[in-house]
Amino acid sequence: MRLLWSVRESARHCAGYKFTTNLLLHKRYYKPWGATIGLELHVQLAAAHKLFSAASAKWDDPPNTNVDFVDAGLPGSMPRLNPECVSLAARAILCLNGQVQPRSSFDRKHYFYSDQPLGYQITQQRHPIGRGGFIELGQADGLDYTKRVRIHQLQLEQDTAKSIHGVYPGYILTDLNRAGVALVEIVSEPDMETAPEAVHFVRKMQSLLRHTGVSSCNMEDGSLRCDVNVSVYRGSEDRLSGTRCELKNLNSLKTIRGAIEAEVSRQVELLSNGQRVKQETRGYDAHSGKTVLARSKEAAPDYRYMPEPDLPALHISEDWIKQIRSSLPELPEATLSRMTRQYGLLPEDVATMLGEPGCISFFEHAARGRDPKRVAAWITSEIFGQLSYRAQRLSDSTLTVQQFAGLLDALASNSITSTQAKTLLIEFMDGDKRAAEELIQAHGWKVMSDTRQLQTLVTQLLNEHPREAAEYKAGHKRRLNFFVAKIMAATKGQARPQD
Amino acid sequence: MSRSVRALRLKLSRHAGFQTYAGSRQYRSTFAPITVLEALEAISERNPELNAFASHITPAEANASESSEGPLMDWPIAVKANIATARSSVTSCASRALYAYTSPFQATVVDSLERAGAAVVGKTNMDEFGMGSKNKFSIYGSALNPHTPALVAKQDGMTELDRHTPGGSSGGSAAAVAAGMCRAALGSDTGGSVRLPAAWCGVVGFKPTFGRISRHGLVAYGSSLDTVGIMARDVADVQSVFDIVAVPDPLDMTCMTSSLRARIKALASSRPWITQAHGPNRSESAPLAEIRVGIPEEYWVNELSEPALESWRAGASRLAALGCEVVSVSLPHTPSALPAYYALAWAEASSNLARYDGIRYGRRSDIRPDTRNLQNASQKYANTRGEGFGAEVQRRILLGTYVMSSAASEHYFTPSQKIRRLIQEEFDNVFALPNALSATQPLALSASRPLGVDVLLFPTATGAAPRLSDQEDSRVANYVNDVMTVPASLAGIPAISIPAGHADGMPLGLQLAAQYGDDDLLLCVARHL
Repeated sequence: MRLLWSVRESARHCAGYKFTTNLLLHKRYYKPWGATIGLELHVQLAAAHKLFSAASAKWDDPPNTNVDFVDAGLPGSMPRLNPECVSLAARAILCLNGQVQPRSSFDRKHYFYSDQPLGYQITQQRHPIGRGGFIELGQADGLDYTKRVRIHQLQLEQDTAKSIHGVYPGYILTDLNRAGVALVEIVSEPDMETAPEAVHFVRKMQSLLRHTGVSSCNMEDGSLRCDVNVSVYRGSEDRLSGTRCELKNLNSLKTIRGAIEAEVSRQVELLSNGQRVKQETRGYDAHSGKTVLARSKEAAPDYRYMPEPDLPALHISEDWIKQIRSSLPELPEATLSRMTRQYGLLPEDVATMLGEPGCISFFEHAARGRDPKRVAAWITSEIFGQLSYRAQRLSDSTLTVQQFAGLLDALASNSITSTQAKTLLIEFMDGDKRAAEELIQAHGWKVMSDTRQLQTLVTQLLNEHPREAAEYKAGHKRRLNFFVAKIMAATKGQARPQD
Repeated sequence: MSRSVRALRLKLSRHAGFQTYAGSRQYRSTFAPITVLEALEAISERNPELNAFASHITPAEANASESSEGPLMDWPIAVKANIATARSSVTSCASRALYAYTSPFQATVVDSLERAGAAVVGKTNMDEFGMGSKNKFSIYGSALNPHTPALVAKQDGMTELDRHTPGGSSGGSAAAVAAGMCRAALGSDTGGSVRLPAAWCGVVGFKPTFGRISRHGLVAYGSSLDTVGIMARDVADVQSVFDIVAVPDPLDMTCMTSSLRARIKALASSRPWITQAHGPNRSESAPLAEIRVGIPEEYWVNELSEPALESWRAGASRLAALGCEVVSVSLPHTPSALPAYYALAWAEASSNLARYDGIRYGRRSDIRPDTRNLQNASQKYANTRGEGFGAEVQRRILLGTYVMSSAASEHYFTPSQKIRRLIQEEFDNVFALPNALSATQPLALSASRPLGVDVLLFPTATGAAPRLSDQEDSRVANYVNDVMTVPASLAGIPAISIPAGHADGMPLGLQLAAQYGDDDLLLCVARHL
């Protein structure tokens, strides 16, 4: 009786007060309701060619330019497995601590849609290439406790073509460039309990897969897509006892979080009112902050899975797996602990750098013989600031590690000011290819180290602004800034404020 | 070099005793060779009546085309309409859905033939997408059996339906060979589609081991069963074509790799009980000594006609006379083969034919539904497919879709796969040669002769070709035609149909089958039968 009351009460809280929703979703506030969350991620592999054809995998080229016979489903065409995709999938499962299966095979999943040229998708339903593994979430990932989320399986499959609606009224246009591009579907175990855990899981997955060169993993361009399974249970019940709903087409981390929170609230409310949760597929409407029915279980298509008769089973030797394993870069977890130990950096800073492909090696080059903390500070604040301003990736930037090192050295030897250094950085990132020293000379910069000259300037300024000088003497310490600014303006930034 | 000069040179080289071209064995055909121009003449003479070709080239086109020199130089070859040819002709599969479809690429088999000097003279009639055993389900209309006695054919009031079927689905190819309209023809065999029409048209039809010949460019029906097959008037011509097309192909991942071919060859030639299968010095009186032939009891079915049984007996006696040891063997799962075959073939067909939606190529329905409603948009598919496919194809797609549905899959699809496995194991048990696929390590074959047989002998069909009008009301009876041919298809083993006697003037065929990969021994025995 009492339990029932508390259930009702908490549900009323949840339904009645919007602001409690977020609190409710935090782990500590879950009782007496719990949520069970599992993810399915679709990750586009960074392979040059498609999974089963020699066509380029550049799906954003002009429409229908990267199409091989099999991508258009021409009669008599046959799929040929691209080994590059197999090795990327193997990298993915290995960096998730899972096992590459010595034997895997392909299946057909059938449904009619204009984005599916063959009438089926070639996937790995029964024998996936990867099984097992886990992702460990902890402080460095933004959780204040540790959590291990297990990986159920990882399978290779084809992407669909792109349907373009609304360009010509009454027509659906089809771009086959994306048809047959390689994906891996990564299915987690339903180990997550809160929306933040799910978001951190996705974020960590992105960082791992980018780091190992498996995928660019961007939700914005669809190289990472996420479906979420959510069910809820009463505190006393088994955590897998609830009926689950699938949330589809969540295309940002924010949407994932919002959708999970909304769906948990909805299910709790339904159950609290004595109703049932029906198994269905739902979407998320960000405007109303609610999930909406997309497809009921009854309307779900029968995919009629069948072994793919055009492709033999994929056998992978122990030697080959070893080779892939040895070609993997140091994994972020290991990098994190090594970098904090070796350079004395904060885990947050290392984690930030890990999120940017190529950044760790950029740092390690620049930090050779220099103060690592200072290097890290410059990278995480100035360089990242510029990158996000330019919406650029470090790997696409024109800034070289030599230029950056020259800048740091000039700064360390006090031959330029930090203002000048920032200007220099902007010029490097604008595409100036000159070395730091060369550019400093071209600017005619040198720090005004002649203190007598500076003294004269200060005396002159004090005379010009007697009122401000008097105020400073009278205890207005902030008047100092006024004079520093004046001096910087007069010397065009060549003076060091400390002097 | 003009074709006539080349033909002359070919004749001269024969006279001069040139037996082989580089890298290929040359087999002596018992028939006079047919040149491309002779074939085209025969086509213009007989094809209007027989309807064997869906399209064919003209003598002018034949003279204009530049073909390469090779072992098949000046060979006129007919190609079934479901094998992609890039030039000159449609690859329609005898379907309205692909009525005017031309392929931007060519099948690997056709490439190999052309490189060897052969000329594709036309595309042959067939049952739509290979589904049928009478060549009746075709947009081109039925092909006819050339063996119908001319007198009967000209009788007053005789309609086309009173004529005999050439068999199917490669009916056009078989009729073309039988009527001298080509020297050899390519067909496709999913459950007997090469062997059955070959038997009914009185020619040789060979379905090699699955994976021997590339399927790239063969329009899929049941991919795990589909095999490109070869038809010709005798085994020697079949073998000449086979040697050219049975090569590895990276474009078909299910085509045997060269290492698998080498492994099979090593395995086959290491059996101590056959010392000279391919040797030149076989004894004249008993050329097939050392070969053991199995007669499978279960093929003695109720439907088997008296003439077919008689020709089976005669075939067994002939093999015994050639030195073979003939023994009786049992393949108890044979009766389950037919239902299992149909469940699997239809399931794969429903999958393989899903792509014909009229969106990217092929025929599209003119009915324009209102696409603002998604329900209506999918109606477009239904209209296109409903109009594009004939009744038999629709029937098999529907049945195949049902067989694979989540509700029925475990009752039909899964058990059928198990039966298929059992049938494969059963064949492995009767053959003396181990299956190269299941033999994981090099086999130490014992010096003494193992229990099994080398080839199996059984009829190709229960009787001779029926008339097109026969069994009109019984679809099941049509399917029963396949009872002798589907077990070899399910097991992926090689089988060949050879002309063996007549019934009421219509030809009968006998089938030989051998272990997976043992195509060479099979052809060797077939040459003597």
